[in-house]
Amino acid sequence: MSVSFLYPAFLFGLAAASLPILIHLLNRRRLKRIRFPAVRFILLSQKRISRSYRLRHWLLLALRTLAVICLALLLANPIFQSGAGLFAGSGPVSLVLILDNSLSMKWAGDGNGFKQAKDAARLLISALNDGDRAALISTNIDGKETFRLKAQKDVLLKELDGIEIADGTANLPAALSKAYELLNQPAGEKEIRFITDMGLTGWDQFSVAALKQVDPAIPLKFIRITRKQQPLNGSVKEVRLGSQGVGVNLPIQIETTIANFGNSEIKELLVQLSIDGQNKEQKLATVAPKGETSVTFQTRIGQPGAHFGQVTLKKDGLAGNAAAHFTLEAQDKLKVLVVDGDPQTSLVQSETFFLIRALNPAGERDSSLFLPSVIVTDGLNAANLDAYQVVMLCNVAALPDAFVTKLQNYLRQGGGLLIFAGDKFQLDNYNQKLAQALSAPLRDKKIGAESTGEKIDKIDLSHPALQIFSDAILQDSIKSARVWSYARAGGKALITLANGDPLLLEQKVGSGKVMLVATSADRDWSDLPVKTVYLPLIQSLTQHLAGGKRGSLDGGIAVGAAKELSLPPSFVGKTLRVTKPDKQNADVAITGEKDRAHATVEANDRAGIYRVSLPAGGEKDSGAPQLYAVNSPLLESRLDEISAKELQTKLSPIRAEVIAVEALEEGGRRVDLALPLLALLIVTLWLEGWLGQRF
Amino acid sequence: MATNDKNYFDPKVLAGIANLGLRARWVVEGLMSGVHKSRAKGFSVEFEEHREYSPGDEIRRIDWKALGKFDRYYIKEYEDETNLRAYLLLDASASMNYASDGITKFDYGCTLTASLAYLILKQQDAAGVVTFSDKVEAFVPPRAKRDYLLQILHALEHRGPAGETNVGNILENIAGQIRRRGLIVLVSDLLDEPEPILKGLRQFRFKGNDVIVFHLLDPAELELPFDGNILFEDLEAANLQVIADPRAIRTTYKAVVQEFIADMRKQCHADSIDYQLISTATPLDQALASYLSWRG
Repeated sequence: MSVSFLYPAFLFGLAAASLPILIHLLNRRRLKRIRFPAVRFILLSQKRISRSYRLRHWLLLALRTLAVICLALLLANPIFQSGAGLFAGSGPVSLVLILDNSLSMKWAGDGNGFKQAKDAARLLISALNDGDRAALISTNIDGKETFRLKAQKDVLLKELDGIEIADGTANLPAALSKAYELLNQPAGEKEIRFITDMGLTGWDQFSVAALKQVDPAIPLKFIRITRKQQPLNGSVKEVRLGSQGVGVNLPIQIETTIANFGNSEIKELLVQLSIDGQNKEQKLATVAPKGETSVTFQTRIGQPGAHFGQVTLKKDGLAGNAAAHFTLEAQDKLKVLVVDGDPQTSLVQSETFFLIRALNPAGERDSSLFLPSVIVTDGLNAANLDAYQVVMLCNVAALPDAFVTKLQNYLRQGGGLLIFAGDKFQLDNYNQKLAQALSAPLRDKKIGAESTGEKIDKIDLSHPALQIFSDAILQDSIKSARVWSYARAGGKALITLANGDPLLLEQKVGSGKVMLVATSADRDWSDLPVKTVYLPLIQSLTQHLAGGKRGSLDGGIAVGAAKELSLPPSFVGKTLRVTKPDKQNADVAITGEKDRAHATVEANDRAGIYRVSLPAGGEKDSGAPQLYAVNSPLLESRLDEISAKELQTKLSPIRAEVIAVEALEEGGRRVDLALPLLALLIVTLWLEGWLGQRF
Repeated sequence: MATNDKNYFDPKVLAGIANLGLRARWVVEGLMSGVHKSRAKGFSVEFEEHREYSPGDEIRRIDWKALGKFDRYYIKEYEDETNLRAYLLLDASASMNYASDGITKFDYGCTLTASLAYLILKQQDAAGVVTFSDKVEAFVPPRAKRDYLLQILHALEHRGPAGETNVGNILENIAGQIRRRGLIVLVSDLLDEPEPILKGLRQFRFKGNDVIVFHLLDPAELELPFDGNILFEDLEAANLQVIADPRAIRTTYKAVVQEFIADMRKQCHADSIDYQLISTATPLDQALASYLSWRG
């Protein structure tokens, strides 16, 4: 039950109600003195009328005060509203209905909340009178949409039917700004009704300052969808890769973190993994109240390329986001041609012993992403380089001319070359034949004793292949290594020794890349091969030279976030097509910047897998993902509510009132008090005049 | 207080009264007592004064006894014979010093008294004046001398209105002093207790006097035409004051005043006293004329 005012500024006029009293008091103070002969008659008269005179006097004062109050209230035009208020019995209303269709509404009202919200909206639309106008705004707007107030109930009801639960968080500033914008123009009574579960997510970051437009005089009423009991509240928090890369037919570990937002333990929670729409594995988990637990799945991918997966929680009565989507890029085995320039009869003493172990630790064909093939220098001319993604030259003394030609073509087409130095390594030969592949000519060899080895000092962590060193253990490991012999080279180093000499250099040739490790691949010139860091370093360099990390799991982006796609420059000016989970297509223009093209997909409004179709004529292996996942924001699964008091504080100076949806269903009544006030004013003035005459 | 004689002798007033024939009734009275007009000086029954003889005086009017006593010739003068002795009693209490607009009740009363005196003297009747508050302020016994008016006017001008009213006592006091019956004219606002006033007036009547009461009231006393909250201070009693809103009490006040007037009129009529209410807004000639017309 409340009273609102159409023109509250006129309420200042209530201060004028004190005028009759002030005038009365001033008159009492400002007495006129008259010397008069017949005072005895005055005394006699007063005695006769004293009681009725005083009564009439005070009555007159009260009537005058009441008249001023009536006038001020009449100008302010009060509206009395009982109950949650349907729109009956007053003048035209401009109403904006904001319907919370954020994901949390799915679990509001004991699973029935969104239906309750729609019913409440339907009730309010149906209660509109002739002359009333309304607009319907859902909370998943981005603020660019156009709305207008309408008088046709059938159109509004149709709009209402079309609103579905969104997968993202409510965009409260956009919805409220739009509502105030809509109510900026019309005169008469205005009101905003916000039907919501009062989910904390969305409000915790909210500030009135974020509203583009606001009018504190417009009443804002929240119709709260309540739940009777606290449900089990669990959600998939994260899906990540537990193993190195994703290789075809290789075992991969997928780790899932399950969060429990509720106060009850979730027992026997069925967690299911599916890849490409097929169930792969199911596990049972128990999650402590307000706790988290991890579930690890092991699976294999049979085909290279893009795949999509989903981790699903299955339990009756579980509220929260039960599904997490992800994409996998399965990498076929990388074929590496390893050229041993100093073969030995003893395998361990071989130049490539540590290198091969780093690429395939288990030594089995189906156990590693990398498939190394070892040849000796004599086999260089016969080698078909196109069959390999990466070629590694280990202490190869000199390069045959025919091989050099093949190697140059191979590099121009995007191949990768990793060169290790060694005692047989002929600097002049390389300087002469691979001048283009070296950032600067090799100067000489520094040969030293093991005890005089240099430590590694600087690592360029910005380089994609060296980002593994952001791991402190790996960094400690590489810095513990000593390099006592190496080839001196110029140019900008990716890894530098303590004395400033480069240890790792890179040079681009055509589409290919060349990397030079200034020391040997075995233990002859450094102890690097026996350090922990050797394996990830070699694998990372190989991945890099082969064209980037392709075997990976991508947990995706949150609903509403933009997806940036990086493409080759040849795509600039073309259009990319994205197919959303609901099969809707969105075309995205590809723009250029520097030497890369990029596209930004903003229409990520549904949770699920998005398919990217590259423009016709584009390169197949463009580096752009064919799939990406979009997931609902984790916090939207949190069912904590904002209290009415907190809400009112956040919305200050907007007048916010919270009403239970049940109160709305019980109905209410709204009465324009202008006419009764006018009648009261007329009666008051008539009485005042009549009584005044009687004096 | 009257400021000049012009007010008293307004030709309009005098003309109005002359035409109405004040004398008519009193002439009849005079005829009934034998003489209306004084016959001649020296033949009056009442000795008035001695004056020295001057050549031309009638020898028979010489007072021979005085010649024996004083060895000088004195002529005996006698008052004219009249048939009417009028006592004009004027209330000169402080309450008479009130004027809502223009003339005060006292000024109006003076004018009225002087006019009546003039009228009476013009008919060669005797007129005297008494002004009083709570005591007799001036007493001019009735005489029928033509130039007696000056003395009357002097008495009226002698003192302005002041002091409290005590009409009842004064009337009793004056009644005790009057031995010959005549006409008693009381000009007062009668703002005193009614009973003592009436008691005094009855004493005049008891001695065979005719009594006329001119009840003078200011229009403001009749209508209470004020606005706003007012502190009313009594003109006579310094400690008598009251705060009132005239608008609120006007109707009742008027009723109270009218009740007082009606009561006074009723009591006067019961004792064969002529009573005339005169508002100071009423033109004097109209007041006199209406009275004399009514008087018949």
